[in-house]
Amino acid sequence: MLELYLPMFLMFAVALGLCCVFFFGGQLLGEKKPSPGKLQPFECGNDSDGAQNMKMSVKFYLTAILFVVFDIEVVFIYPWATLFKGLGWVGFATMLTFIGALIVALAYVWKKGALEWEN
Amino acid sequence: MNLLFPLSPLLVTGFGALLLMLTEAFGTPRVRAAAGEEVVDAGAGRSGELALGAAVVLLAGAVLSVAVWLAGPAASPELKLLEPWLVFDGVALFMSFVLCLGGAFTALLAGGYLPEHQIDRGEFFPLLILATLGAQVLSASGDLLMLFVGLETMSLAVYAMIGLRRGSARAVEAALKYFLLGSFAAALMLFGGALLYGATGHTDLRGIGQAVASIGQPESTVNAGLVLLGLTLNLVGLAFKVSAVPFHMWTPDAYEGAPTPTTTFMAVAVKTAAFAILMRLLLTSFGDERAMSWGAGWPPVLALLAIVTMTVANLIAGRQESVKRMLAYSSIAHAGYVLIGLVATMRSPIEGQASVMVYLLTYTVSTAGAFGALILCGSRGAEAVSYDDLAGIGRRHPAAALVFTLFLLSLAGMPPTAGFFGKLYIFRAAIDSELYWLTVLGLLNSLVAAYYYLRVIVSMYFREPAPGAPVATPMRSGLVTGALVLAAFLVLAIGLAPATPLAMALGSLTGG
Repeated sequence: MLELYLPMFLMFAVALGLCCVFFFGGQLLGEKKPSPGKLQPFECGNDSDGAQNMKMSVKFYLTAILFVVFDIEVVFIYPWATLFKGLGWVGFATMLTFIGALIVALAYVWKKGALEWEN
Repeated sequence: MNLLFPLSPLLVTGFGALLLMLTEAFGTPRVRAAAGEEVVDAGAGRSGELALGAAVVLLAGAVLSVAVWLAGPAASPELKLLEPWLVFDGVALFMSFVLCLGGAFTALLAGGYLPEHQIDRGEFFPLLILATLGAQVLSASGDLLMLFVGLETMSLAVYAMIGLRRGSARAVEAALKYFLLGSFAAALMLFGGALLYGATGHTDLRGIGQAVASIGQPESTVNAGLVLLGLTLNLVGLAFKVSAVPFHMWTPDAYEGAPTPTTTFMAVAVKTAAFAILMRLLLTSFGDERAMSWGAGWPPVLALLAIVTMTVANLIAGRQESVKRMLAYSSIAHAGYVLIGLVATMRSPIEGQASVMVYLLTYTVSTAGAFGALILCGSRGAEAVSYDDLAGIGRRHPAAALVFTLFLLSLAGMPPTAGFFGKLYIFRAAIDSELYWLTVLGLLNSLVAAYYYLRVIVSMYFREPAPGAPVATPMRSGLVTGALVLAAFLVLAIGLAPATPLAMALGSLTGG
């Protein structure tokens, strides 16, 4: 069983080793001529700009949370759909209640203006 | 479909919350915006009516809990369909009543407090009902997964209720502190639950109980070490929620920074729900003879927790200058008394559980009343914070001082208030279980506690404010007054007829 994973571990070890060789080899063997430009943090080749702990708009978090809330419903609907016949009308009514609660939440979010990006 | 009636306490709070959400979002705002500004929040300025709506929903939940209790859960065999996930038995209904009552007090207090202190945000009320729903589910859950769902429903709503005053650094600090430590406690409980599942193969509490009871028998395959670790982690998580020492560090800061109605809810409902599930977990999953023995079980651990909790909290509470912070430490100390009742279940399970249930009821009405009286004693800009602020209230506002006194006496455990009988039953159950030294320590602690409760009364009646010192002015609010009248009535009614709640608690346990 475990030997099945052997190639994977081998691959992992080779990758790690190669990185180490490149990284430390360059440090040990290379010539160092520091200049202010070279000592700057590398940021895609552009001049770096601003501190790294910049403030993000809270809108992103709101959107992310709303996504999670309405995405999770699939987790509940999918298993229900696979057992649709067996669960019968009781299951149907339960799912309608659940979706009803979600619709209320959607109406709430909409009315509260959480879906507006501008403003 | 005959589940509708027995489940009505949960359904009323669940649908009530949705309804209130819509009312809050789609109503017309009462606050006219200043020129050029747009009122974004439709709930602003309507705290009064939303509070009334929330209180009606929660009181309906409380009344329905009693109605279902009177009809008898045994009369609805359909409830068995929900087991083992939700165990809606007599104990759960009793707890549901206490939780809804605590929620209703919070709603009424918030209806006066939020507009007065200009944090008039309508979200508070749907969040409050949802938190109560989570607490009801938590106290009725019979499965580790359901337990977690209930716990998180309750906690998430409470985090938001603490941080309601977004501009205040204190409130944000309180919310963040409670959130971080709360998530940590939830993670510990999840890990503990995973270990219990790994060791026993069950997530339902009864199944775990059967597996735990089989430990020591030759054919048992249950790993006792994993079970012990799982129980410990769950105990730590719940000790955090009931704020037992040494897991109480967050309590004073969170209670003080939160708006006072939220503090009331945390002290009352969150604690009650956590104790309810702690009792269920211990007695269902770890209720076999060995796990409940003094030599090889959990009682000595809880006894130690109880002693440390009472003693530390009472000693620190006496040194506080802020009345709200004193009440926070007092609520920690009361958790210690309840733990004595839990320890007493080891030899007298029925009396021990009944004493815990009655204590939680008396604690709920007294604590909600005390925080309510503190709210009443302060209006905006003239809040009652320290003992000195309350000086002279007894002469200038006798009614406010009188109810405050009543609730403080109840918290101190003086007859003929509810608090006296709560403590009496706890100590009687402890004596029945031959825990004499624990009883003595509890009594000594009650004496120490009387000092700081009486200090408030002394400030109100026998001190005059220093010349030029700020004076607290009571606020005017029909909702707060209503909550206090209801709480005072219950404190006196339970104090004068203590046999009724005790009989109800005993009946919940014996099914009679």
